[in-house]
Amino acid sequence: MSPVSPETSDYAPPERLDSAAHTGAPLIDVRDLAVSFKVDGGVVDAVRRVSFQLYRGETVAIVGESGSGKSVTARAVMGLLTRRALVKPPSRILLEGADILRFPPNARRKLRGGRLAMIFQEPMSSLNPVYTIGAQIVEAIRIHQPVSAKAALLRARELLEEVGIPQPEARLRQYPHQLSGGQRQRVMIAMALANRPDVLIADEPTTALDVTVQAQILALLRDLQRRHGMAIVLITHDLTIVRRQADYVYVMQLGEVKEHNATAALFAAPRHPYTAKLLNSEPHGRVPAIPAQAPPILEGRKVRVAFTLKTGTWLKPVFSDLVAVDSLDLCVREHETLGLVGESGSGKTTFGQALLRLISHESGEILFRDIAIQNFSRQQMKPLRSRMQIVFQDPFSSLNPRMSVGQIIEEGLKVNGIGQGRGERLDRIREALRSAGMSPDVLSRFPHEFSGGQRQRIAIARALALEPEFILLDEPTSALDLSVQAQILDLLRQLQSERGLSYLFISHDLKVVRAMSHRVVVMQHGRIVEQGSVDEVLGAPRSDYTQRLVRAAFEVAD
Amino acid sequence: MTRPATPDGVSAPGRAGAESYAALVWRRLRRSAAGMTGLTLVAIIFAMAIFAEFVAPIDPYRAETGFSSPDTISFFDADGAFSLRPRIYPIVDSDKLDPVTFQPISGPDFAHPHYIGVFVTGFSYRLFGLIPGDRHLIGAVDGYPAHFLGTDKFGRDILSRGIFGSRISLMIALIVVSITTVVGTSVGLISGYVGGPFDAWAQRFVDLILAFPQLPLYLALTSLIPITAPTSVFLAFVIVVLSALGWAQLSREVRGKTLSLARVDYVKAAVAVGASDGRIVFQHILPNVMSHVIVVVTLQIPNVVLLESFLGFLGFAVKPPLISWGLMLQDTGTFSVIGSYPWILSPVGFVLAAVLAFNALGDGLRDAIDPY
Repeated sequence: MSPVSPETSDYAPPERLDSAAHTGAPLIDVRDLAVSFKVDGGVVDAVRRVSFQLYRGETVAIVGESGSGKSVTARAVMGLLTRRALVKPPSRILLEGADILRFPPNARRKLRGGRLAMIFQEPMSSLNPVYTIGAQIVEAIRIHQPVSAKAALLRARELLEEVGIPQPEARLRQYPHQLSGGQRQRVMIAMALANRPDVLIADEPTTALDVTVQAQILALLRDLQRRHGMAIVLITHDLTIVRRQADYVYVMQLGEVKEHNATAALFAAPRHPYTAKLLNSEPHGRVPAIPAQAPPILEGRKVRVAFTLKTGTWLKPVFSDLVAVDSLDLCVREHETLGLVGESGSGKTTFGQALLRLISHESGEILFRDIAIQNFSRQQMKPLRSRMQIVFQDPFSSLNPRMSVGQIIEEGLKVNGIGQGRGERLDRIREALRSAGMSPDVLSRFPHEFSGGQRQRIAIARALALEPEFILLDEPTSALDLSVQAQILDLLRQLQSERGLSYLFISHDLKVVRAMSHRVVVMQHGRIVEQGSVDEVLGAPRSDYTQRLVRAAFEVAD
Repeated sequence: MTRPATPDGVSAPGRAGAESYAALVWRRLRRSAAGMTGLTLVAIIFAMAIFAEFVAPIDPYRAETGFSSPDTISFFDADGAFSLRPRIYPIVDSDKLDPVTFQPISGPDFAHPHYIGVFVTGFSYRLFGLIPGDRHLIGAVDGYPAHFLGTDKFGRDILSRGIFGSRISLMIALIVVSITTVVGTSVGLISGYVGGPFDAWAQRFVDLILAFPQLPLYLALTSLIPITAPTSVFLAFVIVVLSALGWAQLSREVRGKTLSLARVDYVKAAVAVGASDGRIVFQHILPNVMSHVIVVVTLQIPNVVLLESFLGFLGFAVKPPLISWGLMLQDTGTFSVIGSYPWILSPVGFVLAAVLAFNALGDGLRDAIDPY
């Protein structure tokens, strides 16, 4: 790595632009923080010369894509870095003027969960499954305060009430698995609040939650902050949340702070090109309209998918049906993108895969180009497979790690007997890669050599190689960073207009759906709540549930 | 080397070109000290078994004085001066008699040293039954039968017998492990992929095998098979029994992996392009369970080597003229023999070295084999 000379450096200034507006010293003042990790065959500088300040009672957001070093920065402040991490001089982390990096381990431990508290992305793995909620909150209290178990339990009850958990008395005796994701995150917040921290570090606190729950948790954080005058460091990749929550924003990329400013000013006039690019990556634009009466390509009529649950005892089992898709109708037209929206557990993925006959359905008709395929065997489906393709959510599990890119894309051509000989197949593979925006000379490389966005392009190339008419896109961008998501969405729209593809676009993200779809179907608990054109459903939602979804997704952005 | 983190957090493609899976595993295995030690030892052991005629200093069937103690290698001449040339002083009876027992007093004959050298001439052999030769890796330059680990009750060289014995012991291990691997992997794959009632019944059968009390079975076998049974019967029996009991654990593990792999997106993607069951199993699932299977294989070989020596100790071993480590350990059954002639325990050293080598290699491989 070449040393950064002052001319080429685009580090943001270490002082806040609004420091004059604040009286008194900052609560936390991080100066020139540098963290590196020992990895296979070298050292990775995860964080370089990061400085930021946090004043009492405010929310500072640290925004960045994966690998930008935002979580490492937060963990360095908390003192939660792994052993492979090295905080390099001249890093300083000043808490009211005292450098906590110089504190002895005991004093740092007292800070954690005391004056500094942290909540994490995944509330299930942050709670210990073998202890009750009550026991865990009581432990958090008694580590820092010399109170009796009884007093701590009373306090735990108050805390649960404070974070808005109904029936706190009963919840105290429950285990983490008995709570929903949103409630678990509330419990985590209650534990973080237990010792009245000055600073709460929230590392992607709502990423694992559904949008409507997300909105509730964010409202709770705002409310708690107002009541306790707590300062919050919000680590996130979601610009909507930043705009809704933060007073001041730091933008990180490649371990450096690229720009920082007050929230409104930053969003109004980004100065650094990366910030501009990030803001521009928010899904925008619309798809061109299609003829109103295009013929249907894939149609489901009264499709029902149910899973049998076995309860009761071994000798006397009780079977019950879990209905994932409850007799639903759906129709994707030629050249159209139909957005299928819903929160986790709504049955949207199950519905999509049942329509493609990838999982078995109980009843109902499925028509592909007016051919009834609901009772087709796998053999009968085979000639249709190349005409309907699928792209999965997670590009890390959708590509076989033991096959090269060439083999992965070639598989579909081989099993369908497309192309005469290897030469012609190779031409088709190269063409598909090119269409998906990848260089065609990656054929002999393996999936692990690519980033998430590149892998998703390979998965798209696999689908394109077969020249399908219809592609099921199952959350194709939700595992990707914002700027990568924008590229993939552009690619998908471009492919649609060039090739006249039809998409069934499954997503939980209304902004993405608005940018991609002609029509929208909203699902909840295995049922369709509302459907219609994008403007109807997202512009003027009729059902209560859709209204809540729309409010959670667009409240600040629009 | 310092390299900046890449925007996506994935390792930067600083390496030129593609790196194959094997190259990745090799790169990671090379970093493990235990793994590389194991690999080297395993290579040495296999070389020793393959070129046993060349490595062994003495004909393993040549009988001399029974229970003679190991010859010690000396670097001092008769005057006690140090010399770099290693030598052996043969033990001879002197003219003097012990005043109490009137036995001749024996001791090293300093007047007639036998120098030790490499690539010395010794008994003639045909390597692989073809290539004639009489050179040996190590031995006395003048053809004196130097017994570095002493001799057994018939006066045969224990070191040479141990070197030849590795052939049978390793062969049994390799055959048994090949059978258990093929059977275990196939049963596991089919059971996990087919699922349903077939899987349930197959797994109950696996339970039955796993629950089988092995030690009593082996003890029963030793008394069941007559001592006079020919070697081929013994070999067949050992291989059949060890294979029949050995595949179940692997099949259970492969089945578990198959169950989870069958639900992975890339398998669904293969279904979505119209791939057949055979293609899904062999192209998508098998390559991804192979890493696990390879590790299990390297860890099962020492188990079989141990079992063979253990069965030999119980009296259930190949018959002479074949040699195996188990057969050699039969001689160590009585306390009085071990007490007087402890060197006949040295076949244990061979077993120990083989087991440790394979285990170290298996441990190293386990860390290296899933590089993603």
